[in-house]
Amino acid sequence: MSRFRPTFFIPLIAFLGLVMIGGLALQGTLSGSRNPNQLPSVLIGKPAPDVPLPLLQNNQAELALDAYRGQPLLVNFFASWCAPCRAEAPALEHLSKQISIIGIAYKDRPQDTRKFLQQYGNPFVAIGRDDDGRAGMAWGVYGVPETYLIAPSGQIKWRHAGPLTRDVITTQLLAKLDEMQ
Amino acid sequence: MIRSGLYIFLIGVFVMGSAGLIPPLISTANAITAEEMLADPLLENRARNLSQKLRCLVCQNQSIDDSDADLAKDLRREVRAQLVQGKTDEAILSDLRAKYGDFVLLAPPLAKNTMGLWLAPIGFLLLGIAITLGVRRRASATAPSPISQAERAQIEALKQQHKTARTCDQP
Repeated sequence: MSRFRPTFFIPLIAFLGLVMIGGLALQGTLSGSRNPNQLPSVLIGKPAPDVPLPLLQNNQAELALDAYRGQPLLVNFFASWCAPCRAEAPALEHLSKQISIIGIAYKDRPQDTRKFLQQYGNPFVAIGRDDDGRAGMAWGVYGVPETYLIAPSGQIKWRHAGPLTRDVITTQLLAKLDEMQ
Repeated sequence: MIRSGLYIFLIGVFVMGSAGLIPPLISTANAITAEEMLADPLLENRARNLSQKLRCLVCQNQSIDDSDADLAKDLRREVRAQLVQGKTDEAILSDLRAKYGDFVLLAPPLAKNTMGLWLAPIGFLLLGIAITLGVRRRASATAPSPISQAERAQIEALKQQHKTARTCDQP
């Protein structure tokens, strides 16, 4: 029975394969490129949902995304009750110098939203009120903050769930924006 | 051989069955509140049924029927609003799929990209059966053959020899 059997190595090879898959996943998680909590948006490449929303500044007027066609646009879902939204406020302020940003106040009270903007700055060209979260649902929002990049054609190009960090802005958002221009 | 195959099959059925049966027995908590419910018991029943199929995207391993998260509540309300509008169950599920993707369904749909997921358990079961049968076949092939008449005689002779040797040892 001392004959060399190649089948002996099959479990070993299978095990090494599993170790390699686990190692790659772990490396991705540790380096931040893989986040199992980040759901991919199914709306990428689709036109931005057109849910009429009252403006924060003026109840009588509606937020119309169509009016911003022809330029790249950021749409940011935020709320005064959301801590990461405070954290990303400076980043939005900085970004507002390069791109128009629409804010959508997600399930917030108007007076709280106003206070939040006074305190943390207002980087938005317009702010819609999504009081009951139905617009958020149409966009596939599952938490605030969430940020969408809209192409001049009105197509959604990119979505980020969670606060915009320096890393996300430079490696993802600005890269996508460059691609577009 | 046939019996061992049957055992393997039954164990497989038991494992798969308990995987499907136990979770519903454990999760008895419901997050739904009385004011969310619809007056029509038929519609409410459909709403509950749909809620159990939909994933809460915040907690990710709970259905919106189980979850207390705000988004789960919103989704329950959305499901009920669409039911009241007269939409079919399929239409409601596909509407939410269009917004949140396949992930919103707790049971992944059988599609091209989920084929591996659905067929892998069957594949592993077949692989396990094949390996077990292979091992058993090899074991029976290398089993020692019964001793022949000549060998038996040889053993008797050796025994006899041993016995005489022992008696000679005694003083």
